[in-house]
Amino acid sequence: MAEEKPGTVDMGVDIAGLRLPTPLIAASGTFGYGDEYREVADYDCIGAISVKGLYLEPREGCPPPRIWETPSGMLNAIGLQEVGIRRFLAEKLPAVRALGKIVIANICGSSLEEYGELSKILDQAEGVSAIEVNISCPNVAEGGIEFGCDPDMAARATEVVRRGTRLPVIPKLSPSASDMAAMARRVAEAGADAVSLINTIPAMAVDVETRRPRLANVVGGLSGPAVRPIAVRMVWEVAQGSRLPVIGMGGIANADDALEFVLVGAAAVQIGTMNFVDPGVWRRTYDGLAAYCRRHEVAALRNLTGAMRPGTAG
Amino acid sequence: MTPSSEAVGRPGPPRADLAATLVARDQLSPDAQLLRFESEAPLRVLPGQFTMVRVGGGGLLRRPYSYCDVLDDGAFTLLVKEVGVGTRALMSLAVGGEVSSLGPLGTTFDLPPPDLTPVIVAGGVGIAPFVLFCRRLAENGRRGIVLLGGRRRPDLYLWDTFERFGMDVRVASEDGSAGHHGFVTALLDAALADAGRPVLYSCGPTGMLLRVAELATAAGVPHQVSIERRMGCGMGCCLGCVVWARPPSGGPAEYLRSCTEGPVFDAETIAWDRDPHPL
Repeated sequence: MAEEKPGTVDMGVDIAGLRLPTPLIAASGTFGYGDEYREVADYDCIGAISVKGLYLEPREGCPPPRIWETPSGMLNAIGLQEVGIRRFLAEKLPAVRALGKIVIANICGSSLEEYGELSKILDQAEGVSAIEVNISCPNVAEGGIEFGCDPDMAARATEVVRRGTRLPVIPKLSPSASDMAAMARRVAEAGADAVSLINTIPAMAVDVETRRPRLANVVGGLSGPAVRPIAVRMVWEVAQGSRLPVIGMGGIANADDALEFVLVGAAAVQIGTMNFVDPGVWRRTYDGLAAYCRRHEVAALRNLTGAMRPGTAG
Repeated sequence: MTPSSEAVGRPGPPRADLAATLVARDQLSPDAQLLRFESEAPLRVLPGQFTMVRVGGGGLLRRPYSYCDVLDDGAFTLLVKEVGVGTRALMSLAVGGEVSSLGPLGTTFDLPPPDLTPVIVAGGVGIAPFVLFCRRLAENGRRGIVLLGGRRRPDLYLWDTFERFGMDVRVASEDGSAGHHGFVTALLDAALADAGRPVLYSCGPTGMLLRVAELATAAGVPHQVSIERRMGCGMGCCLGCVVWARPPSGGPAEYLRSCTEGPVFDAETIAWDRDPHPL
């Protein structure tokens, strides 16, 4: 376990009925099916793993090019290439369970029925502790509009997942929603136990020499430190405007970044893009959080949730 | 379909994220350098594998580089040509400066069975992975033919290194300043005939790889190819670096990760026409 004298600071957090040994969660889409980083990341520092988004059936994903680096960030349009829920349960879940980590299944749907079906399958699966609902998926029946752009559609997706499972349900909010707090209130009414945010921000880049888009899908999702101040603001709005516990994410690279999210109201945080940059991010962030708590004489990290003070830093 | 998660029956040496110090720089041409690093711990690397390098000022994401040569004591070299912010930062790093090197990653070139003669076709910096490969050949008393192509004479990197390993080096340049005047693939027919029972290995620009694959298929010659794609993580998680190909385990083509199921593929499994502008 951690070199940071475990026991001196209580790093555990409770969220959505889950007891996590650390507040750090691996973000869906950046950590594979959970065991890919086992040789190079310090899994003792990881509180839970949200696996790559799952549909009912396997998906081949978008053609390349799929990624492009931007200032302090990256664009991606992977198109949710994934193995499908059944192969995940049969072939991928055992490996990540063997690591002794809490597994959060991230699900995607092209229809309300698909979300419902996935939640029922996961409800029966052994070794999945919660469901994170990716609502940034196009709703085929509504002409491809994202569930996450519209509070009614997001609430309906949440409700159908809620009906299918006893597991904690955590909608992952899209920053495309016009009012994040209102969105959080709607999914709370629909049965959500917590929310996670933010998903990537729709964005694009163009090669001016060839006058062509950088991504085959033209539009992708922006992630990494470039989005962090936006994400912090949105977590703050949701924490202020709803009673749901919040899992914050957006370009977290170290303990100070994570603390910004915690202080504005996050009970836990996710680390995503920075896995690609530095698998050492887990140890560094964990140690930094524990050191901060000792320096500020905070007995338990969870006491810092929403502990931002009034006034300015000056 | 989707990526097979396991590195297809070829479990590589253990990987680690290690600090590496730049100890020497050899300016091979106006825009290419051979950089020599000393790693904080010894490395076990197989030919064809690569490292993801992070360097200050080199952008957010790591950049993939084939290991060029690897010595027993943890020293390794990278062949770097300037293409953007990542390569520029590496090429301007002062000797004594440090990078973070995550590796070894990916699949490997198989050393040829004793009855086959290796024929290597490389364009520009695509020659990089073949230094370690030819070192291993030479250690086993093996010879091979190396076909080296580039735009101009200075782009025919490390020509002399391959001759020191005892390889039969034949070169081509697009401007005629060295060897055959034209593309390196024009040298292939003669090399295959001279080899008797050849096996092909290639790395370089996509157009060159495609031409080599066509000739190999026509001649019925086995062919391993190293594919270069833009990568986000190198660990099989971002799914940014995919190639449409049939999985080695069988089954229909799907997007395979060039970092995990590659970078070395059996050329006949790749659907070359699927994504014309893959980078």
